[in-house]
Order: sequence, then structure tokens, then C-alpha cells
Amino acid sequence: MEFPDMNRREFVTGLGIGAAGLSAIYGDGTLVSPAHAATQATGGQLTLHAIDTHFGQTRADLQIDLSMQDADGTYQFVKSVTTVERGRTENPVLEPGELRIGRYELLMYLDDYFARFATELPNPPFLGKVPIRFGVFDGSQNFHVPILFSPWSYSYYRGS
Amino acid sequence: MAGITTHVLDNETGSPGVGMRIDFSVFENGEYRLLKTVQTNQEGRTDEMILTPEETRIGQYQLLFHVDEYYRSKGTDLPEPPFIEKVPVNFSVFDTGQHYHVPMLCTPWTCTTYRGS
Repeated sequence: MEFPDMNRREFVTGLGIGAAGLSAIYGDGTLVSPAHAATQATGGQLTLHAIDTHFGQTRADLQIDLSMQDADGTYQFVKSVTTVERGRTENPVLEPGELRIGRYELLMYLDDYFARFATELPNPPFLGKVPIRFGVFDGSQNFHVPILFSPWSYSYYRGS
Repeated sequence: MAGITTHVLDNETGSPGVGMRIDFSVFENGEYRLLKTVQTNQEGRTDEMILTPEETRIGQYQLLFHVDEYYRSKGTDLPEPPFIEKVPVNFSVFDTGQHYHVPMLCTPWTCTTYRGS
């Protein structure tokens, strides 16, 4: 995609105006395009990618609960998100500027997910609701957390 | 062989995770109750089984791996809080006749677990 008559700044600004226009149309303050976010971000965002290595493709509607550790060391529920096709979420789990330094948990409802697709599993399943814990040490950075999972294993890392 | 065992592998250095603290708990009455704290030996394993076949019951268990302390003790520079800190692995025993080997493969930036053998 080339915009010969625009320099990059103008191009990005144009995207920003476009996203702001969409927000106005839908009345949805959370609707921010990634390009817009990149220009406007005052802080990092949290995104995830849940990758189902059992079926080879993540199906929709895997529930994941985000919690954050409070001063007492207890993880306090923040929000629930569900994956859309291919294991991402429609919006960042935490929008640019919402990420704070602290300890987080993504609780993956693997039991519900695999039960819904009639996967033959023992009862109780080896993995039920799986906590993915990680620390955020700089709220201005983006944290992307890919999680590879099957009924018998999982792996996660700091992605980019 | 039945029962519960674990094995820590340090994927940063490609060696056994020696001297890592692991807290083992059972899920009872809506919370995890600590049963024992162990340390990995020179092979990254534990000297005794986490649970022997005779001790193992159907239920939910947790292995809490103190990955942050492990890397700090080796002099690794970690951010605060570290990305990978104390890693809970919650799993179920559904057949006491089977063996549950639950390894932990870790670096300061990633961790992996699975049902091994």
C-alpha cells in the first residue's frame, strides 16, 4: 500500500481521524484501530494469542479471565474476554494506556473449551482452568502473551 | 508406576533446574492447602516422589514453581516484577493407577508444562 502524496505523519494522522470518526459513529470509546493506538498511546497495551495445538486452530469462544494482584497478594478479577476466530481477542485485553506495573493472571477455561467440542477427556480433565501468571515491570511497553495449549500441555512466553 | 513426579529443566542454559523450590498443594474446600515444600536435586528432580502411588488420590493438585528465586539465586538480572515469577501448575489426577509426571521447562521469559511420562 503506497501513498505517494503523503508523508508518514500525514498518513498516520489520517488513520487517527478515521478511527476517531468510527468511535463517534458507534458511540464506542474503546474502538481504536491499532494504527491509531500506536500514534496516541500514552502507555502499553496487553494482548494475548491463545493457540490451540490440539485442533491446530483455535476455535472461538475460549473464555479467559484477567485478574491483577492487589496489595494483599490476592488476584482480583478485572474482566472476562473471549477469543474470536484464530485465538485473538477482538480488542486488546488492556487498551493502550491501561496497562499498569504489577502482577497479572489470565485464567484460561480449557475445561469448558474442550468439553464444548466434544473432546474425549477424563473426568476431571488433567487441565481445567489454567492460570497464566506474569509480571509487567514497565507500563509503557506492550506486553503480548501467546499461549499454546492442548488438553495435556501449555506454554506461554513474552511475545512481540 | 503411579504417583506424582516432576522435573525442572532450565531452558535458558539447557540444563537441569537445580535447587528450585516447589510448593505442592491439594485443592480442598475451595482452596489449595499446602502439603509439602521440596527442592529439586542435581538432576532437576526431587529426591522423593511428590506423592507416592499409595498417597495419591483422585483430585486437583498444584505445583508452584519458584522460578524467580531460582534465577535470582543464579545471579540472573530480572526486572521487578519478573515476567515469569512463581508459576502455579494446576492439574487433576483422574486415575490413581496412572503416573502423573508434570515437568516444568522454564526461562525468565517463558514456561512450559505438560503431562509427561
